[in-house]
Amino acid sequence: MAVATSEARATARPAGGGGDGGISVGRKLLRMNWIGGTAGWLWLVIVMVPLYWIVVTSFKDQSVYFTHNPLSLPTDPTLANYRLVIESDFPRYFVNSVIVAAGTVIPAGAIAFMAAYAIVRGAGSRFLALTNGLFLMGLAIPLQATIIPVYLLIIRMHLYDSLLALMLPSIAFAIPLSVLVLTTFIRDVPKELFESMRVDGATEWGMLRTLALPLTRPALVTVGIYNGLAVWNGFLLPLILTQSPDKRTLPLALWTFQGQYSINVPAVLASVVLTTLPIVILYAIGRRQLLSGLTAGFSK
Amino acid sequence: MTTSRRRFLQLVGGGAAAAGLAACGTSGPKSSGDSAEGAAAAATGATYWFLTAQPQQGIRENQVKRFNAANSGAQIKITEFQNDAFKQKIKTAIGAGQAPTLIWGWGGGGLKSYVDANQVDDLTDWFGQNADLKNSIFPSAFGAATVGGKIYAMPVETTTPIVLYWNKRVFEKVGAQPPQSWGDIMDLVPKFNDQGIAPFSLGGQSRWTNMMWLEFLFDRIGGPEVFQAVFDGKPDAWNDPSAIQGLTEVQNLVKANGFIKGFSSITADSNADQALLYTGKAAMMLHGAWTYGNMKSSGGDFVTGGHLGYMNFPPVDGGKGDPSNTVGNPAQYLSISSKASDGEKETAKKFLSTNTLDDASVDEWVKTGNIPVVKSAKAKLASVTDKNDNAWLNFVYDTSADAKSFAQSWDQALSPAAAEALLDNIAKLFQLSVTPQQFASNMNAVLGK
Amino acid sequence: MVLPALAMFILFGVVPLVGVLVLSFTQWDGLGPIHPSGVSNWRVALKDPGLYHALWVTFEIMILSWLVQTPISLLLGVFLAGRQRYRSFLAVLFFIPLLLSSAAIAITYKALLDPNFGLGPGLHLGLLTQDWLGEAKLAVGVIIFIVSWQFIPFHSLIYQGGVRQIPTSMYEAAAIDGAGRVRQFFSITVPQLKYTIITSSTLMVIGSLTFFDLIFVLTAGGPGDSTRVLALLMYQQGFQANQMGLASVIAVVIVLLGLFLALLLRRLGGSTTDSQMEGM
Repeated sequence: MAVATSEARATARPAGGGGDGGISVGRKLLRMNWIGGTAGWLWLVIVMVPLYWIVVTSFKDQSVYFTHNPLSLPTDPTLANYRLVIESDFPRYFVNSVIVAAGTVIPAGAIAFMAAYAIVRGAGSRFLALTNGLFLMGLAIPLQATIIPVYLLIIRMHLYDSLLALMLPSIAFAIPLSVLVLTTFIRDVPKELFESMRVDGATEWGMLRTLALPLTRPALVTVGIYNGLAVWNGFLLPLILTQSPDKRTLPLALWTFQGQYSINVPAVLASVVLTTLPIVILYAIGRRQLLSGLTAGFSK
Repeated sequence: MTTSRRRFLQLVGGGAAAAGLAACGTSGPKSSGDSAEGAAAAATGATYWFLTAQPQQGIRENQVKRFNAANSGAQIKITEFQNDAFKQKIKTAIGAGQAPTLIWGWGGGGLKSYVDANQVDDLTDWFGQNADLKNSIFPSAFGAATVGGKIYAMPVETTTPIVLYWNKRVFEKVGAQPPQSWGDIMDLVPKFNDQGIAPFSLGGQSRWTNMMWLEFLFDRIGGPEVFQAVFDGKPDAWNDPSAIQGLTEVQNLVKANGFIKGFSSITADSNADQALLYTGKAAMMLHGAWTYGNMKSSGGDFVTGGHLGYMNFPPVDGGKGDPSNTVGNPAQYLSISSKASDGEKETAKKFLSTNTLDDASVDEWVKTGNIPVVKSAKAKLASVTDKNDNAWLNFVYDTSADAKSFAQSWDQALSPAAAEALLDNIAKLFQLSVTPQQFASNMNAVLGK
Repeated sequence: MVLPALAMFILFGVVPLVGVLVLSFTQWDGLGPIHPSGVSNWRVALKDPGLYHALWVTFEIMILSWLVQTPISLLLGVFLAGRQRYRSFLAVLFFIPLLLSSAAIAITYKALLDPNFGLGPGLHLGLLTQDWLGEAKLAVGVIIFIVSWQFIPFHSLIYQGGVRQIPTSMYEAAAIDGAGRVRQFFSITVPQLKYTIITSSTLMVIGSLTFFDLIFVLTAGGPGDSTRVLALLMYQQGFQANQMGLASVIAVVIVLLGLFLALLLRRLGGSTTDSQMEGM
């Protein structure tokens, strides 16, 4: 629904980004929004100063850090901090984070997609409506609140201190939102298409694979990215459910590293940069997909 | 169809919940016999967790290295944590049945909570069989290792009283003399503040660092009986006038800006508080004797050049406490997890008897400016050639040996629940958000818990 | 087809939820066996001023962060909705804070705000050299600032999407009627964004219940307990004071609060897009 509407909007407006021809009065007014403009530029400064500081400092040596102007560029840039971070086993933590993220996003996406499909296609069933309601209620429940029973459950399942322990609860808590977004998208697929396929003898599973899946792909990507980011940056679950250093994920590793090297600020910041770099790169590549998906999904 | 489906799911859900949380009698699955070694099939390998922070970390690592070199059949695998993370992780590990074989700790109330949950082995008989080992250790160190008359941990490592350190260079610059009494301390505060130097460094976010102040004030004002009453759970023990006075005095120090700016966000884990002393940003610091080693290695010429001053906490005018008393950690303790396999326990016991207080360890401790908990330490001191280290070691030894009372750190002596309440209230006390009376009534409510 | 998701959700979502309730009636120190203990935990918790203080801090942070984030996100969203190329470039940069984990952000700001070694003393700016994390009021303010820094980009995006859907014809009509820009903003933009505001607010409010990582790493609830939100109180009671039963009581309170707020906001706006995004 939302996708269709914004498409309509785009065609209603004059074509060409930033073009000047034939602007409506409203857009001209939006453009001269100086309050918004000031806010925008001011916000840019607020966003960029810490980010700039992080990057710049990570190349300074610790002794220099204490004496020089924090915002100045390093006179003697050094990679020693990065070397320290890499030697402190960060590649392994990176791999752990990747495993946990993939191990959460893929199963969660798959089963949420199946569930969303079932809910939309089986609109008449009370059971499915109830399930949907259950999932929606799950949206209001913070993962943090259930950490103690989850800890107990993981122990009983003999999964304590494993990466699997991080994946399972994450999948469960990713379901409500994923199902919600996916049902919205699947609902957009016109019923007639399903009917015509049904007439041609397709089964529900077949239709799921050949019809719903391709059409819902953008939503799946959005949901996947969103869940992936949440799991990648998750802190509480690894904190409680893992203990061996070789099971650490990046946020936990960051915290441990910081605890040990706290006065060596440049090294700590180097670790921040290294752990965020993969995501920034992915972001640079896949930005359009993420933003359009998010805007469409949430601005209904 | 829908109704019965729903009911079925409810049953499944309820059953899962019941099954998951039932069987609450036992505290966890079977032992972590296979978690010790990954590759090697050595079922007798053991695991050992301890704190980071040099020089202690390095010494422990060396102990394990020596053991592993001599025992190729049964290796010890180590994992290291920072102080605050360790305190939480060790509990989650024990609760999950994945405790390390060798459990490091401070004894006292924490140890008692393990004993009550049947998580650590009784070592009394083992000590009976290893009488030589037992006799080589300071007798007073066994106090915090004993619960209900039985010994559950072995005192290892060092005896570390809390010491008042001062930066001689800073004192010279300002033209001040080290304090001889509490009154002197309060007088020195404005002297340093006027010069832009913080009177005291403090890693307040860790909270137990604030606690050290109260430990001394209580003792100097009213003697060790004041806290003993708390420990024994006597009703209204915190209302003792000496206690209230101690609480008030520390707040006076806070109000007078006696502590470095931003102290409540500085943690002790990172040694940032020590850095403030040896870089001259602060004039004095009340901290454990264990910090000497780090200040020596990280502080440039601060220690090696003889600029570090130290003394026992001064008396409080009009106080009853004996000025020779001290507080701190009489030792560090190693317990053996009761859930470990027999093979692991054998390895652990061997480690305890051969590598924790062997000559190599004792030498290393002494070299880094610490007093190991063995009677033979005194003899070793004579052989220390560095005159700074020699003076320091003799000071620590004499302080510990001569103290009429050596009280254990409160947060380790009390049970975890009471300790948490204590640290919480101490943090608020130093924030000036509770009055001494409120502190006392809050703490009276958790007496004996 | 729906069963895998349902099963997973029940096992790791619903069961723990029931679990917190059950555990709140037990006594467990996390080390030994679990003992049933009736309502004693509830009695202790409900009498404990610490619980009410945590509730207060949670609400304080929730409301203040909403008050700060919403107007700014709204303004930025409108600004970004414009079609100029540079605006979309700005949007790219704005989004970066969202890519950092809360732990990373907390670590960064902890170093940045250090009163002895941070940005303020380094630049010799007295104004920036406060005891940011050591004074109660300042610490709360810092948390709100950091939360806003982290999530305003996200909410601006939502508002941007919402603004893009407002028909320009409405603005044209208003302009013809002589309405100035400010008037247009308040009479057209804001009312048209009603659902967006509800969505964004729901996300903010429910999300703020989950703040843990940021506060844990930055202040650990301090100074004292001035930033000790419910989630932190629960962690401390459970994993530091060995009182899992009491911690479960607090967990139940968090869940109830979440449900209550979600329902309330739903009433207000009839929107179905509440979520737990913020706290991640």
